[in-house]
Amino acid sequence: MGDIHVAKGPAKYQCIGLGSCIGLALYDPTTDISGMIHVVLSELPSHRDNEPLGKYADTGIPELLRQMTGLGARTSRLLAAYGGGAHLFSLGSQTSTTLRVGDRNIAAVQKLLESSRILTVAKDVAGGAGRTMIFHATTGVVTIRTLNEATRDLCNLKEAIRGRVAA
Amino acid sequence: MVSLWGFMGTNRGEQLSLLAMSALHEMANIGLGHALKSLSELTDKPFNMAIPQVDLLPAEHVHQLTPDPEAMCVGVLMPFCGDVEGHLAFLFPWASAQTLWRMLLGSSPETPADVDEIATSAMLEIGNIINSSFLAALSDFTQLHLESTPPMLGMEMVGALASSIMTEAEMSDSVVLALETSIFDAANETQGYFMCIPSRSGLTVFFKGLGIEEAA
Repeated sequence: MGDIHVAKGPAKYQCIGLGSCIGLALYDPTTDISGMIHVVLSELPSHRDNEPLGKYADTGIPELLRQMTGLGARTSRLLAAYGGGAHLFSLGSQTSTTLRVGDRNIAAVQKLLESSRILTVAKDVAGGAGRTMIFHATTGVVTIRTLNEATRDLCNLKEAIRGRVAA
Repeated sequence: MVSLWGFMGTNRGEQLSLLAMSALHEMANIGLGHALKSLSELTDKPFNMAIPQVDLLPAEHVHQLTPDPEAMCVGVLMPFCGDVEGHLAFLFPWASAQTLWRMLLGSSPETPADVDEIATSAMLEIGNIINSSFLAALSDFTQLHLESTPPMLGMEMVGALASSIMTEAEMSDSVVLALETSIFDAANETQGYFMCIPSRSGLTVFFKGLGIEEAA
């Protein structure tokens, strides 16, 4: 949680048991540079310091971009896939209104990707299920699994660009 | 393989004095002692607990409950308010939750999809009883006014539950420390994992209630 990892070339990342958190995978097909972040909350509270940057979308995503461009990636070429932002706790039959952390996280990640003009290839967000998200940067495949569902492919960040170039 | 599961706040390096730590331990012992007594009365089975730990945010410690962060768990989360704000949470592995259901209802849902309203309210009631007696004991011990709020139920991967609990706790205030322990019955058929996560300001109030000056 709150981790940021980047790599050039073959790599594999995983976010196990995403609840309201969000796992965001980014990939630059031209340079084969990949990265992933496990966002916990949408915003860094103003009164806090000494926090891991990656915990918050508003500090973590720029930091992820900084690390990836530092390796040679270009923001305009990045492709994104993300998952998470669920609500796991409910009050009897109704969902609690205070537990809207997931929604806020989804909105924050979406906004930051849009403002950086990063194309979102696929997402699997909200709902009531915890997710494990794995990004195989070597093949470009992003998979999601939940307790009720076997592992399935969310998208392929390497093929996505081929499709776009072809189109 | 890079795994983005695990640490949270381990690099904060905040320290409490020995006195403050032992006060927290004592608080946990008293509160949980009462909570387990209630659980034993409810289920007619004796329950024990491991020595409570006072530690940084416990999401990383959930492996004490199960080595698999994707294992199915049932969680009861209850925010509390009053002089101190914070969260209490209980996590039961699926098999333990089933044992509890059998004790209370005579039968248990086979799968999470089978959990009906009766099973839901039975589990919420367990959470309610444990948490309320924990709070009552704490309130006596510290002379603070503590109020429980309705519990919420979650059934999911334990990692997802634990991180959602931590995130929810973090939303309200900067939480640094938590009390945590595992509980189990004599036959080791039921295990659980308990967390008390006071808010940062709440921790200071706790210490004041105990006569300890500590900048938490």
